[in-house]
Amino acid sequence: MKRSRLSLRLIASALAVGAGLLAAAAASAWILDPVTPVAHEVRTLFWNAVWITGGFFLLAEGLLLVAILRFRARPGVPAASFHDNLRLELVWTAIPALAMVILSGPTFTTLKYMETVPKSDLTVEIIGHQWFWEYRYPAYGVVFANEPLVIPQGKIVAADVSSVDVVHSWFVAQFGVKMDANPGRVNHTWFQVERTGTFNGQCAELCGVLHGDMAIVVNVVTPEEFERWIEQKKKGA
Amino acid sequence: MEAGSLAGGHHGAGAPASGVKPGGGLLKWLFTTDHKLIGVMYMWLGFFFFAIGGIFALLLRTQLFAPGLQVLAPQVYNQLMSLHGTFMIFFFTIPLLSGLGNYIVPIQIGARDMAFPRLNAVSFWLLIPSGLMMLASMFVQGGTAAGGWTQYPPLSSVQYSPGPGVDLWILGLHLAGLSTILGAINFVVTVTNLRAPGMTMWKIPMFCWAVFITQCIILVATPVLAGALTMLLTDRLFGTSFFVPAAGGDPVLWQHLFWFYSHPAVYIMVLPGMGAISQILPVFSSKRLFGYKGLVFSTAGIGLIGFLVWGHHMFATGIDPRLRFFFSFASMVIAVPTGVKIWSWIATIWGGSIRLRTPMLYALGFIALFVIGGITGVWLALVPFDVQVHDTYFVVAHLHYVLFGGSLMAIFAAIYYWFPKISGRMYHEGLGKVHFWLTFIGMNITFMPMHWLGMVGMPRRIYTYQPQYTVGNQVATVGAYMLGVAMTIFVLNMLFSLWKGRRAPVDPWEHIDVNRTLEWTVSSPPPAENFATIPIVR
Repeated sequence: MKRSRLSLRLIASALAVGAGLLAAAAASAWILDPVTPVAHEVRTLFWNAVWITGGFFLLAEGLLLVAILRFRARPGVPAASFHDNLRLELVWTAIPALAMVILSGPTFTTLKYMETVPKSDLTVEIIGHQWFWEYRYPAYGVVFANEPLVIPQGKIVAADVSSVDVVHSWFVAQFGVKMDANPGRVNHTWFQVERTGTFNGQCAELCGVLHGDMAIVVNVVTPEEFERWIEQKKKGA
Repeated sequence: MEAGSLAGGHHGAGAPASGVKPGGGLLKWLFTTDHKLIGVMYMWLGFFFFAIGGIFALLLRTQLFAPGLQVLAPQVYNQLMSLHGTFMIFFFTIPLLSGLGNYIVPIQIGARDMAFPRLNAVSFWLLIPSGLMMLASMFVQGGTAAGGWTQYPPLSSVQYSPGPGVDLWILGLHLAGLSTILGAINFVVTVTNLRAPGMTMWKIPMFCWAVFITQCIILVATPVLAGALTMLLTDRLFGTSFFVPAAGGDPVLWQHLFWFYSHPAVYIMVLPGMGAISQILPVFSSKRLFGYKGLVFSTAGIGLIGFLVWGHHMFATGIDPRLRFFFSFASMVIAVPTGVKIWSWIATIWGGSIRLRTPMLYALGFIALFVIGGITGVWLALVPFDVQVHDTYFVVAHLHYVLFGGSLMAIFAAIYYWFPKISGRMYHEGLGKVHFWLTFIGMNITFMPMHWLGMVGMPRRIYTYQPQYTVGNQVATVGAYMLGVAMTIFVLNMLFSLWKGRRAPVDPWEHIDVNRTLEWTVSSPPPAENFATIPIVR
């Protein structure tokens, strides 16, 4: 009896540590600091999902723990004999189903928002190579590779993502953007970065030996700085 | 119900004489068509590859202990990472569950053997050349496949992965697929036709239901993988261009075909374990399974809807937006039948008389961990969140909560539960519990931090990483070593118990009558052909 109490306490503490780590993980992701409208929306959706599913998580783990604690074999105490209850089963089918319908609301709104590329101020072409990125600014005739992407702050940037060899994926976590670069296809995405700074990302689709080294750097500058920079680039600097 | 009556008289005489041939030793194993011996060989093979895949995982975690380490060269890292996934899925989990099903299902339904004993032997023996090809692929020029277990073209094409390693990988997997398909035919026919008289549809034990539904999934899904592998192979060797964009092919087609198989494969790997859990929980609660029919329907429901959700692996691929809505919702719907299972299991132990023996600890640990994998699964169904964490360590965490916390914990529950029946000996209970606690805690230490790593942007499948990810990776590596210790204890316990364990009685778990399936009515291990006279189920 005593030993099993100990194991119970072990289960309880393990679950607590697990939940704590999960909460810490969630908190860090929140701290991750979204810098585009889409990334903000994704964070909001994430928290909606945490609240809606968190109740089920606590209920399931809690009931499990209570059952293990309360219903240990004791001499002279017979086990209960119930083994079905249609009403209960209907309830625990219907409520999660309803929760999923509710959760699909904000999901689809956010999905529609991120899917719809708005009228853009600037179009860049992002092309994956083993193992570097090529960037093109078709409106300015500027093409370069293996350097940071430079974009103006606050402007809507449309990105056409493709690849010349294997599948890559252009991923900047703080933008809430991840788009596969497929050879033979062009994928469209967009971002509007709210503040200046340097943002890091990394290729997110296994693309060969040096996949782990295929970094992404985006410099977000003021529109004026961007104009100066692109003029210089046009001159071939 | 019809099928139940079909099972009766003629099957006892109709089943080919199988079982132990004259002569013992190696020949007995080589030429056997006995489902029990074949089942045991499946399990040995599975655990062999589990050991290799596990050692690979420890090497990967060692390389990732700090950024910039050079334990493994980048290409070697990619190769071991690819084979870790391939081995754990196709050469451990799926064969091991086939072995368990092979051993247990015929006895539980009151049959003398599988419906096609020779085909059964063929299914097993196909895995030997298949596994040898996989192992050989590591030693040919250029090494084995390095494109992950997913092998997306064009990376896996001859242009970007020349060398025979990938061809061996494809052929090895092809043979494993063929083995699985043949096995599936055998299981479906066996459960349909060979049930003992009186075992109507709603008397089939839950494990047999789960295996039956799983094998139906295999019959639909695995041929699609076989087709895709054939296309990849002819692209590589004979100049076809199914996946070559320059010649009008499309690499995205591979992703569709691959995931059309590989999402249901998740259920192929987890449903039999859930079936075992549904039998173990009642036994160690001395109570009847709650909501038997609900569990059968939810298993079938997961199997069906499982075919409609493959697109959620491709939300960042750039598939049609309308499809994303569909796949997103369908994936969320899977949570409903999964929830039915979780609630039914809790209701099963509720009010019971719980004995925390090792199989029960694993069954309860399974529920605790699978709930986490299920919840993160719902999050991953939400396209915008999925796009954020797709191909990051968040997915690695999620899939290990499902496949380690789910499949593997269930496999251990089943192994401990049936070990006395299969070996005729008891395992060491104390070591079993140590194994459980080290596994349960080590598992969480390894995979919980990966949620966080993924959410802050660490991609998966990278041989080194940015310094800001160091802490999470070090915690994970420590957890992985703990798992290494746990598995060593497991192996020692099993080997020692096979050699010196106490003799197991017919029913070491003291089943109450409603829970005592037929394998607990015959000796441990069961005699050749299982039953002197075919039992009648009431």
